Amino acid sequence: MSYRVGKITNIRSPTNSIKEYEIILEDPIEPEPGQFAMLWIPRVGEIPLSFADAEGEYIKFIVARVGKVTSRMHDGLAIDDRVFIRGPLGRGFRQVSGGRVLLVAGGYGLAPLYFLAKRLKADGCGVKALLGFKSDEDIFHQEEFGRFGEVEVSVEHGLSGYRGTVLDLFRGMVRSGSFDKVYVCGKEELNLAVSRECLRVGVPVEASFERIIKCGAGICGSCSIEPLGLRVCKDGPILGGEAIAPILEADES
Amino acid sequence: MGWELEGMSLDLEVELAGLRLRNPTVLASGILGSSYSLMKRVEEAGAGAITTKTITWEPREGYQNPVFVDLGFGYLNAMGLPNPGMAAFKTELKKAAENIRTPMIASIGGGDEGEFMKVAEHALEAGCDGLELNLSCPHVSGYGLEIGSDLQLTCRIIGAVRSVSSKPVFAKISIHQARPDVVSRYLGSGADGITAINTIRAAAISPESMTPILSNIFGGLSGPCIRPITVAVVYEIRREFPDAPIIGMGGVDGWRAALELILAGANAVGVGSAIARRDLDIFGEIIEGLRRFLTGKDFKSIKELVGYAQRL
Repeated sequence: MSYRVGKITNIRSPTNSIKEYEIILEDPIEPEPGQFAMLWIPRVGEIPLSFADAEGEYIKFIVARVGKVTSRMHDGLAIDDRVFIRGPLGRGFRQVSGGRVLLVAGGYGLAPLYFLAKRLKADGCGVKALLGFKSDEDIFHQEEFGRFGEVEVSVEHGLSGYRGTVLDLFRGMVRSGSFDKVYVCGKEELNLAVSRECLRVGVPVEASFERIIKCGAGICGSCSIEPLGLRVCKDGPILGGEAIAPILEADES
Repeated sequence: MGWELEGMSLDLEVELAGLRLRNPTVLASGILGSSYSLMKRVEEAGAGAITTKTITWEPREGYQNPVFVDLGFGYLNAMGLPNPGMAAFKTELKKAAENIRTPMIASIGGGDEGEFMKVAEHALEAGCDGLELNLSCPHVSGYGLEIGSDLQLTCRIIGAVRSVSSKPVFAKISIHQARPDVVSRYLGSGADGITAINTIRAAAISPESMTPILSNIFGGLSGPCIRPITVAVVYEIRREFPDAPIIGMGGVDGWRAALELILAGANAVGVGSAIARRDLDIFGEIIEGLRRFLTGKDFKSIKELVGYAQRL
């Protein structure tokens, strides 16, 4: 499986640091929410990106400006440009059908959760999404999530929604005991804190983890998470409570 | 679990330059052998021995992405020998030596005799059961094949490491070093055994982008497409050196391929990039396949099959 060629059909800039890319591939793929692709920009580099949506030949990525490749994407890519994709890779979210689910997103960690929300809604789940941002001008995708269920936004500095971190917002909510599953994607601290809380109150949880991914095929070991040597690119990026518990233990000791 | 396999697999046990392997499968260098936790998983998957990622004295970051291409008929990689350097690696090696019962072979990299010796001494101190000298990585300047192309230097390195090692030393060779006269010099300089073969220098270009795919342009080719080459190399080394311990690798993607290398003359068989497609289950598949093959035949042990294809 070498690269598939995709053509950019639309680019949006919902905030200063985020861009959304809509891409049409030459042939259809069937990623699950939580899976990722390696996106290659020739002569620049190759990075992992979670699918933020996918249907047939259509895929969407949400990309924050964080390094060389993402900066080149933000500054250099235009509609009709080609990109090169390999994937889908990794293990996606294990989806529940029916019941009430809570999605917790830190910043652009909302990308795979948006794709998940769409699928969960289609499967008859009641979806509630908590989207955490630093400030008012970082807020995006609030309306899009609204199509699939309830949305609450938190900002650490600003006037919109809940004032504080998405973790604080989540803590108040999970204790109500009315959710059958929690899905989280954000920085590792958020993933671990949310998972810790869920394990404590006995709600099933899954989190999307991030490491530097190189081969993307499970052989180089560069994305492994201690202490169990779980490879983000193959055993993850989505890990469930059982796999996260030893990570929490190691984190505490 | 791995150790449950062991009790049932006396028929698969092999001896390799004094190391006892519960079965002939060996994790190839460069694949997952970068931390204790990953090596532990490979042991649990059933591997008979584990080779670490190549360790150099100083940390090496390795190359930028893309570093890996799945060509369909094989794999191309140029990782660039990324490793945290001996000092940091030693912690992992010690933990592995304490908690892993499967023999652990440290892959040693270096730019000269001094570096090879230093890294070897520390690997042995950490408790490794054997050493493999990387004389053949095909895409890192100043290392691997660039060292291995200089016969005098290579023989000095082998001799130097031999002089500090109480454990078996394997020379890992590429197709370019796979000549009887070269192998003879390696064995004569103190190598206990030969690991054959490393990946083959190769490159891939995307017709769509009209650029090389690997950031380093050149990498190493592995996978089923190189297996016939591996078979020929192993066959020839076994024919010329009937007693040399050989770890055969290159294109092992299942039990039939493993058996092919054993029949050609390998005492043990390396498994590497096939993990990309089959994941760690491949160790169990090979072990089960070999056991099934032996069942109902007149052979009592896999050892009887080493070089069997050469009997005429």
